[in-house]
Amino acid sequence: MTMTKLENCLFAVVLLVGLAAAQKEVPMPKDLPPYGPEKPLQTPNVKTTTLNNGLTIWLVSEPGLPKVALTVEVRGGLAADPENRPGISQLLSKTIDQGTKSRSARQVAQELQGAGGDFSAFATKDSLEVSTAVLSAKTATALGVLADVVQNASFPDGEVDLAKRNLADSLDQQEAEPRFLASRARDRVMFGKHPYHVMSATKESVATATPADLRDIFAQRFRPDQALLVAVGDFQSDKMLDAVQAVFGSWKAPARPSVALPANPPTTVEHAVFFVPRPGSVQTTIEFAAFGPKRGDPDYEPAEVANAVYGGTFSSRLVANIREDKGYTYSPYAFLRPYRAAGELVSHADVRNEVTGASLNEIQYELTRLTTTSPTDEELTKAKRYLVGSEAVNLQDRGSLAQTLATLWVAGLQPDEIGARGRRVSATTTADVNAAARKYFAPHQAAIIAVGEEKVVREELAPFGLSVRAVP
Amino acid sequence: MRFPTRRHARLCLLLIFCLSAVAVGQQWKAPTSMKKLSNGLIVVVSEDHSAPTFGLCISYGIGFRLEPEGRTGFAHLFEHMMFEGTPNSPKGVLDRVIEGGGGNNNGDTRYDHTEYIETAPLSALDPVLWIEADRLKTLDFSPKNLENQRNVVEEEVRVNVLNSPYGLFYAIDLAGKAFDTYPNAHNFYGDFHDLDAAKIEDVQKFYEQYYAPNNAVLAIVGDVQPDEIFAKAEKYFAAIPARTVPPRPKVDEPPQAAERRATQTDKLAKVPALAVGYRMPARHSPDALAAAVTGELLHNGQASRLYQALVKDKQVALSVDGGVNWPLGNPFEYNGPTLMTSFIVYPPKVTEDQLVAAFDASIHDLIEKGPTQQEVDRIVTKMRSDWYDNLALPINRASALSHATLFDGNFDSVYQTPEDLAKVTPAQIRAFAGKYLVPANRTIINRVPAKQDDAAKTGAGQ
Repeated sequence: MTMTKLENCLFAVVLLVGLAAAQKEVPMPKDLPPYGPEKPLQTPNVKTTTLNNGLTIWLVSEPGLPKVALTVEVRGGLAADPENRPGISQLLSKTIDQGTKSRSARQVAQELQGAGGDFSAFATKDSLEVSTAVLSAKTATALGVLADVVQNASFPDGEVDLAKRNLADSLDQQEAEPRFLASRARDRVMFGKHPYHVMSATKESVATATPADLRDIFAQRFRPDQALLVAVGDFQSDKMLDAVQAVFGSWKAPARPSVALPANPPTTVEHAVFFVPRPGSVQTTIEFAAFGPKRGDPDYEPAEVANAVYGGTFSSRLVANIREDKGYTYSPYAFLRPYRAAGELVSHADVRNEVTGASLNEIQYELTRLTTTSPTDEELTKAKRYLVGSEAVNLQDRGSLAQTLATLWVAGLQPDEIGARGRRVSATTTADVNAAARKYFAPHQAAIIAVGEEKVVREELAPFGLSVRAVP
Repeated sequence: MRFPTRRHARLCLLLIFCLSAVAVGQQWKAPTSMKKLSNGLIVVVSEDHSAPTFGLCISYGIGFRLEPEGRTGFAHLFEHMMFEGTPNSPKGVLDRVIEGGGGNNNGDTRYDHTEYIETAPLSALDPVLWIEADRLKTLDFSPKNLENQRNVVEEEVRVNVLNSPYGLFYAIDLAGKAFDTYPNAHNFYGDFHDLDAAKIEDVQKFYEQYYAPNNAVLAIVGDVQPDEIFAKAEKYFAAIPARTVPPRPKVDEPPQAAERRATQTDKLAKVPALAVGYRMPARHSPDALAAAVTGELLHNGQASRLYQALVKDKQVALSVDGGVNWPLGNPFEYNGPTLMTSFIVYPPKVTEDQLVAAFDASIHDLIEKGPTQQEVDRIVTKMRSDWYDNLALPINRASALSHATLFDGNFDSVYQTPEDLAKVTPAQIRAFAGKYLVPANRTIINRVPAKQDDAAKTGAGQ
């Protein structure tokens, strides 16, 4: 982008302020019917209990569709991996179902398929999760397989060897994905040497990992006193509890210490452009990444509302600007990503090469505007209703509800947090949003990640005078 | 996978006691009813009183198969224009109303239908119905908005095709090679030359031809009563006049005579991939159910034949995906030629010949021996379970009901399909495989990473 274009672009920004203000005044159609009376949105009725071995159980009985979602979550994920084995949790998630003391990998897959399910496992920064969803008549089968895997995974040498080779090739495959490159760069830039900088295994850590490493990490983390079992679906809670007790009751925690919580990560990041070369790109993938609140922080909900006004919804300012007005991108979005010990606030857009600079300018503009102007009454009301309503809609999906509950548990929260969050969102005021916006959204607090053609990125971003450097 | 779509997207046989009230057959139906308005709009209502919400789908009997020549990608570009406002309801109102009502919306274009979907707390039902009816009366045929959405759609094509490893070659290029006629073979996402040529007159004509109440099915699922919904549908939609919709042209393909093969280079991908497409029987043909089960037997999850053979036993693949009418729909939602597709990513040290030989051995084994009854029981149980997943959320059940009714005139298949699948026998699968899974009926594209020094010369993707 030349300077002339940038000036045009800044001029357009000035015009847009007027337009944007005017747009808010577009009245609703006169014959549009009003919203109907509100029926109270229920929050899930979660029965909580703990087995004698320390296993936490959260059950949500929802009769009807004959399906059950089952999730086992344990504390300790990518951030708990040994320093010389970064991302080994990812290899563990790919091998935990590859054999137990009494079942082969094929038997695990076939028994679950016969129950109507797939085995799914993945590593987050703070946890490891295994899950399935099956026909409710086959719940006992699925519980039996899950219980066997989380207690008796054996990590056979041949299976680990195959998984290592395939994961190494899959890592190469991912190197081609701009979103993977952006996310990995973001975590390295944000967290530096803190263990949260790890988002996937590396070729080196995969190459050096052994079945013994996996068995050791498995033994340390898969233990009932650091685990949650969630079941959501078509069952009676007392019978489900009996079934869980029957297969998980004899699970024993080892004497060794469990995974420690991660240390407090950094709270600031340098405002510079961190560039990831991707030759052949016809778009630049841009991210703004800053530190945000953790789930459970008092300003988490005000930040959620601010984000919904800014870029977290389709009718938000960022989407209206760089997609629906300027057509720079198909995929702009912004989100809060809370971890146990930190929170991230991320804006993302994939834009064609020639509007890389113009898009950066608009994202900075919208971030700034959020910190300097109050949301309109309509923006505030819309954002709050969206956050509460869309969660009620999403949690009708049993898998989503199981996942949401597991995520709360990892954050150290209880199931009633779902309702409490809704009440805090609804109570959020303009002043709360403004305070959260000023605290978290100012663009100079954000690192900028750019993935694309080096020549394009350097030329397009030169007028901004930011330091452009490689990802550490 | 939802593309092309309006927005970035963003689931021991020893039963010692009965955990559920439902017996092991696990047949499930929700109360559902249907009414046709005088203008031809079909309305389907399914009750779900588990939460005070609703899901809505209105689908139209037009997709990219019938978009005009010289206008590839137009059906999807048009779908975007349905969100750009009307004379009554300017651009932006639709999203403000739905998100302000606590809900979400989206749209999707497929070969033979285009759907518009919303879900929200029940209090937003009336304004959402008003919005859907309003955009069935007329649109704001704005050249400025067309220009804007042309840019947005071209960015969508960049994200999903031109800037993406593999560039959906297993959908776009495979159909292009496997079929010979424009409706089935053209690039459904659109060549930029054609997207650039689209004019507001094209938008107007397409709308007038296909966006008629008698070419649509409205389905609503949620905390509602049928009579209440039929009355609301009458109130908001009945005054919209029926229109003559062009008769559906023939979209048959000339028979395939021999295997088709191609090799492509990919300047973004780092690991090679192979796509195989077999032409499938017509929807509702006697072979269609066996086709659906065979597709899942080969591709569904880690217990599938291809995963076990290629990834685990022979270790010549990293991942296997696919099925009938994959990735643009399930094995039942199409109305013209389609493929059973396998998309296989494989290790760089494996050759194409090694992979194809291993793939062929799996297919030959199925043709020679057929599956066991136990294997068929497993996969139809899995298919039932997956089918129910897709009926769990009101917005997804509304889609399923709307599409089935659009294709068949009734929604029976939504509840009947799991029962029909359970009747498919090992002998039928073996016979299907012997008839269809033969080299002369297939197309294979091998996609290999461009060498580093070639990368600067080749275009993006292909």
